[in-house]
Amino acid sequence: MSAGAHSKSPSDFLKLVLGRPVIVKLNSGVVYKGILACLDGYMNIAMEQTEEYVNDQLIHKYGDAFIRGNNVLYISTQTSKKKKLLVEFRHHRQ
Amino acid sequence: MSDEGQKNNQDGGMVEEPLDLVRLSLDENIYVKLKGDRELYGKLHAYDQHLNMVLGNVEETVTLREIDEETYEEIVKKEKRKMEMLFVRGDAVILISPPVRI
Amino acid sequence: MSRISHNGQLFFSFFKSLVGKEIIVELKSDLCIKGTLHSVDQYLNIKLKDISVVDSEKFPHMISVQNCFIRGSVVRYVQLPSAEVDIQLLQDSARVEARELKKK
Repeated sequence: MSAGAHSKSPSDFLKLVLGRPVIVKLNSGVVYKGILACLDGYMNIAMEQTEEYVNDQLIHKYGDAFIRGNNVLYISTQTSKKKKLLVEFRHHRQ
Repeated sequence: MSDEGQKNNQDGGMVEEPLDLVRLSLDENIYVKLKGDRELYGKLHAYDQHLNMVLGNVEETVTLREIDEETYEEIVKKEKRKMEMLFVRGDAVILISPPVRI
Repeated sequence: MSRISHNGQLFFSFFKSLVGKEIIVELKSDLCIKGTLHSVDQYLNIKLKDISVVDSEKFPHMISVQNCFIRGSVVRYVQLPSAEVDIQLLQDSARVEARELKKK
């Protein structure tokens, strides 16, 4: 892996966020907030303490949840409302 | 690795990859969310890497949304039906939630 | 479905064991076709014999059809005869399959 500050790969980002709170947005617009337990090459995701939001409204809670990867639009670490995907990743490289 | 990833389960397995979560739900009642506003509850008998599944004693809930032509209010209807043994094609799967383990 | 290992073809083997049994195939288009399972392939394409459409008033266009081939990708559900399913074998096979997949 090259050491350049801006050259880390998406999978490095994903390794970094294991065990951390994430926001997962699906193609349908549904949003899941929870702890990222693990993921695989298909972007299948296992999450804990998962909350399901439709139109910003909490509609369901799951203990554990498996999300099929083809539905995933993005995985984000940020918890504020502004959409700044991967910004935290940049901070964590240092 | 998260704490959960290291956690031992009764099957003697660990959750190292997402599909482990599904494997550990075999012979348990699970919740499945499918495309097309469909939800299933049933006992997981088998699955594969595509998330094709066989479920037993299944209850399906279909949520229908209509707009009232006069008031423009959204009318939500839920239709339920039961099936004894059901093969579910994996490509429609969005989410699987196992029972809460203590 | 006599063996437990299915070389990544768990549901192919499973459906082969149900050949000759009556099943109901529900398509993503909501069409439900009842018939006798004639054959299945690795893509889970299905051939049915002696078919009838469950809701033939809603779907009248299949009324004269006796046999059909269903592309696996258009299937939503298959309702199975639960008496014909060996649940223990199915669960054991799924565990074996999961283990074999991990080795790869």
